[in-house]
Amino acid sequence: MPPVSQTIRVTVFFFGRLKDLAGHAEDSAEFSDATTIEQLFALYAARYPELAKYRSSVVASRNQEFAAWDTPLRSGDEVAFLPPVSGG
Amino acid sequence: MATLPHNDIFQLVREPIDTVALAGVVRAPEDGAVVTFDGFVRNQSHNRPTLYLDYEAYESMALTKMREIGLQIHEKYRIHRVAMVHRLGRLEIGETSVFIAVSAPHRAAAFDACRFAIDTLKRTVPIWKKEYFEDGAVWADGEMPPAPAATPRAKPAS
Repeated sequence: MPPVSQTIRVTVFFFGRLKDLAGHAEDSAEFSDATTIEQLFALYAARYPELAKYRSSVVASRNQEFAAWDTPLRSGDEVAFLPPVSGG
Repeated sequence: MATLPHNDIFQLVREPIDTVALAGVVRAPEDGAVVTFDGFVRNQSHNRPTLYLDYEAYESMALTKMREIGLQIHEKYRIHRVAMVHRLGRLEIGETSVFIAVSAPHRAAAFDACRFAIDTLKRTVPIWKKEYFEDGAVWADGEMPPAPAATPRAKPAS
């Protein structure tokens, strides 16, 4: 039997400079195939080309933990793209 | 939320931070020292006069990371209590943006833990500041938190 395709729905947050470049702080995205954080970022980088320039300084989180770029997404995940932090 | 051990305090606030009260809260009869770090808004950045700063945070994650720092310093140093508060929103020159107080039986552990806490906060807690000048605003240069490397995976069985 072919595998049943399952929709992966995630919430995405942008902060700091990335929020300015994306034009919004929060979005939601849906995928029908397996997707990684890297692929999710690429989707936004294609939509907002300015974002792509900052890729090397972005750190990603999944469910509020720093996450590797090749982390696969699961439905319900909360992903955030974080520019270098400057608290204090 | 699970009860925190040690009665530590970790907060993000939008009002002025009461530094005197926080330094008092961590103090107990069995302690011999409280070391505090008071980080406040400087009037210039790279010799450019600053008007004010605006801080934002990924609040839920920032609190998680602040609590992790608390657990780390309890593991690493012989300390009693920690209070760690960061303010968000618009801050004027001279206002406290971050305050950390650490109590301990002896001063060395309190100094070391407080230093470790602020250094780690600045590197790992998702908070950002925008600096406002006469002629515009910029996001402050920050530090990249250490993120996990790509996950090593077993080759899929074929």
